[in-house]
Amino acid sequence: MTNRLRIWLNASGIGLLSPLAIVLLLAFIAPVLIMFPTSLHPYTPGVGIGEGWTLENYVEIFSDSYYHEVILRSLGMAFSVMIFTIIIGCPLAYFLARMQSRARNWLVLLVIFPLLLNLVVRSFGWIALLSKHGLINDVLLSIGMIDEPLKLIFNLTGLIIGMTHIFLPFMVLLVMGSIQNIPVDLEEAAAVLGSNRTRVFFSIILPLSIPGLLSGSILVFILSISALVTPRLLGGPTYKVISTLIYDEFMQLLNWPAGSALAFVLTLIVLVVIWATGRFSKRWMAHLT
Amino acid sequence: MKTINKLGNISVMALAAVSTMSVISQANAAELVIGTFGGSFAKATEACHVSLFTKATGEKVLLTFGSSVQHAAKIRATKGNPEVDLAYMDISIAKQVKAEGLLEKIDFASLKEYGDVAKQAFDVDGTYVNFMTAATVIAYNPKVITTPPSSWSDLFDKKYAGRMALGDITGTSGLHFLLAANKMNGGDLNNMDPGFKALAELKANVEVFYTQADQIVSLFERGEVVIAPWYPDRIGSAADKGVPVAVAYPKEGAVGIQPTLVIPKGSKNKDLAMRFMEAVLSAEGQACFAEKKYAGPVNTKVTLSDKVSKIVPFGDNYQNLWYPDSDVVAKKRPEWTKRWQRQVNR
Repeated sequence: MTNRLRIWLNASGIGLLSPLAIVLLLAFIAPVLIMFPTSLHPYTPGVGIGEGWTLENYVEIFSDSYYHEVILRSLGMAFSVMIFTIIIGCPLAYFLARMQSRARNWLVLLVIFPLLLNLVVRSFGWIALLSKHGLINDVLLSIGMIDEPLKLIFNLTGLIIGMTHIFLPFMVLLVMGSIQNIPVDLEEAAAVLGSNRTRVFFSIILPLSIPGLLSGSILVFILSISALVTPRLLGGPTYKVISTLIYDEFMQLLNWPAGSALAFVLTLIVLVVIWATGRFSKRWMAHLT
Repeated sequence: MKTINKLGNISVMALAAVSTMSVISQANAAELVIGTFGGSFAKATEACHVSLFTKATGEKVLLTFGSSVQHAAKIRATKGNPEVDLAYMDISIAKQVKAEGLLEKIDFASLKEYGDVAKQAFDVDGTYVNFMTAATVIAYNPKVITTPPSSWSDLFDKKYAGRMALGDITGTSGLHFLLAANKMNGGDLNNMDPGFKALAELKANVEVFYTQADQIVSLFERGEVVIAPWYPDRIGSAADKGVPVAVAYPKEGAVGIQPTLVIPKGSKNKDLAMRFMEAVLSAEGQACFAEKKYAGPVNTKVTLSDKVSKIVPFGDNYQNLWYPDSDVVAKKRPEWTKRWQRQVNR
């Protein structure tokens, strides 16, 4: 038995993964497993976490329409951010991937630049730009495009703008990698055979960059749905998402059981999204070849 | 791709450097670990309390930063073997942690400063001591509002529609304003209907429900908000930096806030922690904290400068403070939070 295990370990290369596996186990899986029992305890304010076992925390999430609204809002927000990063990121990624000039390195640096900036500072930057007397509203008012300042911040709009900005680099970098792997010859061949640029884009570039696009989308989706600082600063308390709700349960109400239950629901949603995207991408690749 | 890898490496290195630095700073183990609040509060802690303590005992102090609840969460997670020897926290949170049996009993009468400090500052069960008074008051822009507001009802004035802010209930000022509005409209802690009704109606006038004190600083600075419930110490600090904001005490009484000091059960430096309490409660420490952080003193021997005594709860304003029963508040707060999320913030 042990011999067979050894052969299997050697052959599969899983043994090589063991340092990483141990780190992942200790740093990610173990805390999750420790949190799980917490989510099954009752909580009495003024007393603390009870000893008994209950499903109440989960039942509440699934039966209360307030939580449904928050979950739907979080999904909608993460989905919109994902779509916006695709719309803005893909042309940019294509441009950067096909660029010949030496300036490319600098342009890529510019794309990554927002990531080098502290999250809180970045969010305050957005407040200065988007608030009622911020730069954007002032400009629009002065050129007469609008009569009343637009409400761009402390609501879902502000949240989506801020998050799209923050997570755009992930999408651009991943899609760029995919596009770089598509030989330019393919595009040229298609052009020689009479395809116009639109056709080249939709029949060659887009299908072949789907893997990068999908991983970018998953990444952006998960980062958006689990982001905490940006929703707290730009969304305001009126626009609660799951992550801010978890934060409130833990950090404001000291209700760890309810917070853990919510955290597990969020994890479940994320896992379902990853699983579904994985299936889709497998089908897509099979369909291509 | 190469560029990306290179950049990736740089950012990984930067991350590694940052995390190593924080590890190093933690490894410099000091004698006494104190959990205090961040920002200007931390600076004042360092300048007033820590320096006095170090001068008196020669021992070093390591400060860690967080909110009341973050300290409480840490104490709960490290039950009986705490990382911090003494923590600053709000009285309602201190009571919660006390109820969970996570606090050390302290013989307050043995403190050097015991005789000088107002008796009501000490918990009768000997677990926490209220070391300063703060309050939820009205912050207003004196350039725009020339007659200072005098009542909580001023916040309900239609002329401030779209130019006023409220705290979210997750922060103290949000909760206190709800309680004040409720009391003003004839409710009490067991009947919050009038308060919720008033706030649900006021909601349309509210430009933003703030969750972070810093949000409101920039809103006052820009003139987007001209009136809001806030704290005297924050208002004083912001005004010192040139933000157009001033303090007004409502005639119904500002709502009192009582920050406390606690020693978590199992602290290995209980004696030193008590020496630290003495430094905080001493007339010198209290006066320094009042001048630097606009904290109302609990030590009766302290005299204040004119400027500070107008800002902190002092004299009549101190006598007028209203303290909602923090036991009831601690129990009901989750219920109110839920109701707020559904009726005020939806």
